[in-house]
Amino acid sequence: MSKKMGKALHKAAILTFEELGFLFATDDQYGEQEEGPSPAGEANISASVRFHGPLSGMLVVTASPDLLPAVAANMLGEEEIPSLAQQYDSLGEISNVICGNVLPAIAGTDKVFHIAAPVVAEGNYAEETEPAAAVHLGLEQGHADVLLFIRAEGSRRTSRAGTGR
Amino acid sequence: MGLNVLVVDDSAVMRKMIIKVLRLCGLPLGEILEAGDGAEGLGVLDAQPVDLALVDINMPVMDGEEMIRRLREDPDKSALAVIVVSTEGSQARVHLLQEKGAAFVHKPFSPEDLKKTILSLVMGVSDEQEDGESAPQSGDLDF
Repeated sequence: MSKKMGKALHKAAILTFEELGFLFATDDQYGEQEEGPSPAGEANISASVRFHGPLSGMLVVTASPDLLPAVAANMLGEEEIPSLAQQYDSLGEISNVICGNVLPAIAGTDKVFHIAAPVVAEGNYAEETEPAAAVHLGLEQGHADVLLFIRAEGSRRTSRAGTGR
Repeated sequence: MGLNVLVVDDSAVMRKMIIKVLRLCGLPLGEILEAGDGAEGLGVLDAQPVDLALVDINMPVMDGEEMIRRLREDPDKSALAVIVVSTEGSQARVHLLQEKGAAFVHKPFSPEDLKKTILSLVMGVSDEQEDGESAPQSGDLDF
């Protein structure tokens, strides 16, 4: 993993969760990701965003089940638990914003990227390739893993997202 | 009369966030309309003119860049005040949008960032004025 990419991903993830989700990191690290099911035994939720440009690949955010309603409620400014659709929408937007912020930090602000709409699905991300950068964030109300995959020149795809394991 | 606003973003949650900030601005708001992409946004504007549009860039069907290009080509809509609210990180694309008269707010934004840009564009209120004085009252405005 490139140190520059790891730092850029870490910074973008922290900034996005703080400013968009009003959630602050209590414990975070980059270069490692949490393995296995969430402590509660419920399914994690993953949002993936594909991007194309000078670099192509995918950014994946996997949130613990307790984090998802907290993020959505904070973004909406509501005390009641938002609907599942709103929770998925919130995580998709978080992944989109992290992606939009990390790419210029890595490739430069003179580069143009095309970012696809987020895809949200139940489960962890099932990797077939090693991420170029990974961040694990312990947040006030749960935890999240953020993975950045860069597609190698000539390969057709990175791997699949949102498949349970 | 209040300020009629169109919020265009493919995320319903983001639209609600933006609307919430709009309500915190102290502006006299009229109708707040929503659209999920640029094409839908243009359709809304055909049916009802607004005073301000807040537009995302990366959206399915029609992105915000194309929506703004079409707005500027339409004599009836070319003068519409537009704020782009986007993750866009390319300075070249941001400059292109600014050349088309759009203000820019980068995601993630703090409510204060968005509020200041809205007040600056719509009311001509500077940061200093916004920090030191209360926002104009509805009776002072004529949209």
